[in-house]
Amino acid sequence: MDYKRELLKGNTECLLLCLINSQSMYGYQLIKELNRRSNGYFHFKEGTLYPALHRLEKEKLIKGNWEKSPAGQERRYYHITGKGRRALFQKLSVWEDFSTAIRAVVQPRTS
Amino acid sequence: MADKLASYLESLKNCLKIDSAVKDEAIREISTHLEDASQELKEGGLNEEEALTLATDKFGSAHLIAQEICEVHNQGSWQDAFFTALPHFLVATLFASYYWQNTTCLLLVLLATTCVVIYGWRHNQPLWLFPWLGYYLLPLMVTGILLIYLPQGWTWLAALVYIPLVLFIVAYIVRQTTNRDWLYVLLMVIPILVVFMWLTSSSTGGQFLPSSTQLQANTLWLTLSFFTLAVATIAFVRVKQRWQKAAALLIPASLILLAVTLVNREGIGLGAGSILILSLLILVMPAWIQLKPEPR
Repeated sequence: MDYKRELLKGNTECLLLCLINSQSMYGYQLIKELNRRSNGYFHFKEGTLYPALHRLEKEKLIKGNWEKSPAGQERRYYHITGKGRRALFQKLSVWEDFSTAIRAVVQPRTS
Repeated sequence: MADKLASYLESLKNCLKIDSAVKDEAIREISTHLEDASQELKEGGLNEEEALTLATDKFGSAHLIAQEICEVHNQGSWQDAFFTALPHFLVATLFASYYWQNTTCLLLVLLATTCVVIYGWRHNQPLWLFPWLGYYLLPLMVTGILLIYLPQGWTWLAALVYIPLVLFIVAYIVRQTTNRDWLYVLLMVIPILVVFMWLTSSSTGGQFLPSSTQLQANTLWLTLSFFTLAVATIAFVRVKQRWQKAAALLIPASLILLAVTLVNREGIGLGAGSILILSLLILVMPAWIQLKPEPR
């Protein structure tokens, strides 16, 4: 099992919600931004982004609309919904607790 | 090189068995993604062919992506499952309560089915429409067969006018449904096969329709078979993968057809036997399509 890939798979939706929460973006822009912010750490087949976006949209966490990009081309921009924002804060809170607990286990404080 | 992009998108389109409006949007979106990616690679110094090849490679297998998108859209809600299974529950209730003997009740059910079918057909043919469509086509087909039993002059009229007209309507609907998804044809055809199987195997004396007594004797089995169809339909709507959907319909439907054969062992003649073989062939076809290796 590829541990990194499994971790990424479990957190893709949280990462996407986080990016879309900061700014409405289209698919290709999301890939570029994810790559930029993670310094190329998150590397996966670009097409796998779309099933995740479809899932988030079906759950009404994001909403896609065709809009003109600054270059004048039509792109499908994703916007976060109120439900999506609430889900993101919930996921982030779980993630914070989880990472704190992991850190506490792997790096125990010396007394 | 536009051919390469068109061919990639075509293969994606062929694998995407979802609502046509959602499919068109997904293809358009992925097309813009690949154009952006290859444009950036061209600006980085690659020629058009190299850029498009690398962009599609980085995007991933069209088949796998389509499969994952289908899994998102193919799982219906519990509400969808209820409306899709509703006609089977109604028919099971009709038999369980003996209301099938009441003409007014039957006419009301037929009227309700017609209204539901017209509404569904005009509103982008949602998943729940297809079993209703099966029950809607059933009286049209049964009437055609009953016309054959009329005196000879009328039989010719039926054979030349009514039956070709019904066959045309059925062929048109099956074709439209196949364009959408072959599994939906299955959803529509199974209730027709089950009803025909019951009719031909329960009737005796060279008649097409069985007598009330014959139907009453099989009330429990009739109710059970339509109830099983309803449960199978709920499973069909709720599971995500296509092979699971095919199995959710195929296994119970084959068991029902075999059970009808066993319950009416004495009544099974050439007609019922032919319908059983035809039904099993129709049921096996989608399984064969599902098991065929898909291009990667």
